[in-house]
Amino acid sequence: MKHSTALPAAWIMLRILIVLNWMVGAAIAALLIATIVAKGWTFTALGIGPEDQIRSVIVGLQFVAALGLVTIPLNHAMFTRMLRIVETVRIGDPFVAANAYRLNAIAWILLALQVIGMTIGGIGRAISTPHHPIHLDAGFSAIGWLAVILTFVLARVFAEGTLMREDLEGTI
Amino acid sequence: MAILVNLDELLHDRRMTLTELAERIDITLPNLSILKTGKARAIRFSTLDAICGVLACQPGDILRFGPDEGGDGQD
Repeated sequence: MKHSTALPAAWIMLRILIVLNWMVGAAIAALLIATIVAKGWTFTALGIGPEDQIRSVIVGLQFVAALGLVTIPLNHAMFTRMLRIVETVRIGDPFVAANAYRLNAIAWILLALQVIGMTIGGIGRAISTPHHPIHLDAGFSAIGWLAVILTFVLARVFAEGTLMREDLEGTI
Repeated sequence: MAILVNLDELLHDRRMTLTELAERIDITLPNLSILKTGKARAIRFSTLDAICGVLACQPGDILRFGPDEGGDGQD
């Protein structure tokens, strides 16, 4: 376990994800601004012709982009907490109350991301027309919800484990 | 906590130091000191067994239930 490559790999991956997340956020923000400043040009560039640029489609896609922006700080909060957990494992002291709180926060973030994902999926279906179908890679995800439940359970296990450790440390 | 540790009196009666007891029961001096000052959360049967063996006493001689003095800020 001491020489596991999973830990440094996770640390590097999380660092990359934090940067990528903000880059994606900047791209979504740019797209959202473009749909307001240069509406016609942007939607034509996205493959939505002038005949399909009805108000509901435009507002729907702008709302999807805005929701996408909301996920950026949520992702950041999740990745930074995961990074802190990995760092506690690296220094050899992961069973601390702070990690239980971090896992609990990650569980709530995952829950929020699932709800946002389902909302985006719902908007996609609502604005999709037979003439111009819109397929958004979002919606209900059984694995996603399983991850939410698993993380909540893990957070509880961590909290209990931390208490047990504290008790054990006070046992002579 | 209202459980009081009588280790001080027992050691005094047996003319034994805490360091000597720690060496004989194979427990570190800081841990034994935590037990003596009543700051421990729990005591193992094996520890109690070792102390009783060395001091030739009963568990009840080491531990007693008394009024909560609240000096240690324990539970």
